Amino acid sequence: MSTKGMRRAGTGLAVVGLLGLMFVYWLSFFWVSTEANQGVAQRIFYVHVPAAWTAFLAFGLCALTSAMYLWLRDDRLDRAAVAAAEGGMVFGAIMLTTGPLWGRIAWGTYWTWEPRLTLTLLLWFIFLGYFMVRSSTENPEKGKRFAAVVAIVGALDIPFIHLSVLWFRSLHPQPVVVKPDGPTLPGDMLTTLLTSVAAFTVLFLGLFMLRYALEGLHRELDARARRVAA
Amino acid sequence: MNKIKKLVPGSLAVLLSAVSAPALAAQIPSAMAGQSLRPYWHVFIAYAIAITVVLGWVISIGRRMRQVEERLGE
Repeated sequence: MSTKGMRRAGTGLAVVGLLGLMFVYWLSFFWVSTEANQGVAQRIFYVHVPAAWTAFLAFGLCALTSAMYLWLRDDRLDRAAVAAAEGGMVFGAIMLTTGPLWGRIAWGTYWTWEPRLTLTLLLWFIFLGYFMVRSSTENPEKGKRFAAVVAIVGALDIPFIHLSVLWFRSLHPQPVVVKPDGPTLPGDMLTTLLTSVAAFTVLFLGLFMLRYALEGLHRELDARARRVAA
Repeated sequence: MNKIKKLVPGSLAVLLSAVSAPALAAQIPSAMAGQSLRPYWHVFIAYAIAITVVLGWVISIGRRMRQVEERLGE
């Protein structure tokens, strides 16, 4: 797809995603029932969990495209990896700020060094390192390769984050949706959650495409600067 | 005189808050009396953070795109 086509598709998806997010806000505030034990604070669930899902999707996509870049050395794969990593940082930041707000009400503390929280914070910092590694070498090609390795190593943390609540004693609840015997959430809560996951995913894909197009323009600018210098 | 002018908006805000707080508190249903409003604040802040961060990224991408296009157009 051309840069122009990518921008058009990205803008369309981002608009649909933003409208979806508005709809999710309406569902969360005016439609879904209040959870009996945690009360109104449980509504943070409808932004926290989809943000977490989107961050893991973005970091996973970054690792996948990075691995393919190391294999094929196609510059488009590196562009996709940067775009996905930036999205992961953004949605990861939402996950890491909304979680403590919920935790303060549910657990009585903003932060505790339990396995899932610690591993998630580690993941976010590994991808912060991804950007630092990219810009730390004089040879940009070397920076891309080093960063790709960081992304792959970082993404290995994702399965541990998911399984940490099963393996260790954790304040985080056990899975309520992705489990062998089906979801245990009430229908309206599951509907709101899945709508939110869909909205966040579409929004991410739209902004990912726009960011990919931007990275293409950056490289075009760099190539022009190199031509002028030569 | 300028110092007094600068103090007026702040003083008004403090005065209005002091006057309106009991009025707002009186509107809370009796079933909620004694319950903390902190969960509501946390929910609003969480939702505000989510939309602010997303819109921040949208604006950031748009601004960077415009800058690069301007430089490419030169």
